[in-house]
Amino acid sequence: MPLLLGSYAPDMMSKWFVYGIHIGGWDLKATDPVQFHRGWPGVGFTHSLLYGVVWALIFWRVFGSRTWAISFLIGQWAHAITDTGDTVGTMLFFPWTIHIHFGAWAYAGQTGRLTDAAAYFSGPGAVWDLVWIVLGIFSWRVLTRSYFEQHVFTADAFWTKANRFLPMTALLVAYRAAFFYGTCRWIAWSIWAHVVHHYPYDISWGGPHWVHAAHSPPLTSWQLVGVGVIVATGAAAFFVSRFEFSRRRWAALRSRA
Amino acid sequence: MPSKRQLTVAAGYAAAGAVYIAIGVWYTDVLLSFFVALAYLLIVAWLVPAGIRRLF
Repeated sequence: MPLLLGSYAPDMMSKWFVYGIHIGGWDLKATDPVQFHRGWPGVGFTHSLLYGVVWALIFWRVFGSRTWAISFLIGQWAHAITDTGDTVGTMLFFPWTIHIHFGAWAYAGQTGRLTDAAAYFSGPGAVWDLVWIVLGIFSWRVLTRSYFEQHVFTADAFWTKANRFLPMTALLVAYRAAFFYGTCRWIAWSIWAHVVHHYPYDISWGGPHWVHAAHSPPLTSWQLVGVGVIVATGAAAFFVSRFEFSRRRWAALRSRA
Repeated sequence: MPSKRQLTVAAGYAAAGAVYIAIGVWYTDVLLSFFVALAYLLIVAWLVPAGIRRLF
């Protein structure tokens, strides 16, 4: 559950305002959807690594759950890092506001939700989603009742609490809903875009090129050096902490023996 | 390989998915929210079967 929440967290409060919404006589929409969604000023910080860390610390220190902290962090980081694949990218190292972007698929959020969906499900983004669907089908065992009862239900207190109100069968259905939604959404949008509306596929790098994509400027040499330093520092901190953890664990085992 | 029972369950979800996809293609708003899909799945894969079992 926290992993799912983390993966939805960056877009949860912002996407409706990017696409615009009609309530009564009011039309609410960001004047600059790209800036609002991914930039600063805006809510682009929701797609940063720091945003995940802050929420993870809240789950860990305030609510006392390391499982929720780590799982939320993995989900949120997966979303933030995945979105660097498009032509706008994310402010991954916020408060540093440069956009890390690989430009693999077109960002078209500013064109509205229908054109954005048509573009996403016509380009490399659709292929990327399909990879995860196929991986999910190959990992079908994680969707079985026994796996849920033995590994998921026991690992997260959320399910035990929910089980006071809902039977195990309902919880199992809820657990499977994420994969169900992801797969059905992919098929439905693909049919809508290519069978009903005949948008052309273009899975070339940066595609589809028939849509007016938004772009971030390429990084300068110095910005690339800065990114390299941050990544190297992060990797070094990770390996040092792993080494230190292993060393302490080894020392604890030896003192016990 | 999945058992016969597991394949039957998967077939049930596939049928529910086919209906959801048909509705989604016709009315794309239902594709926008995970929570709509969750509510739909809870109705067709839990509430309706549970109701039928209680009736018969």
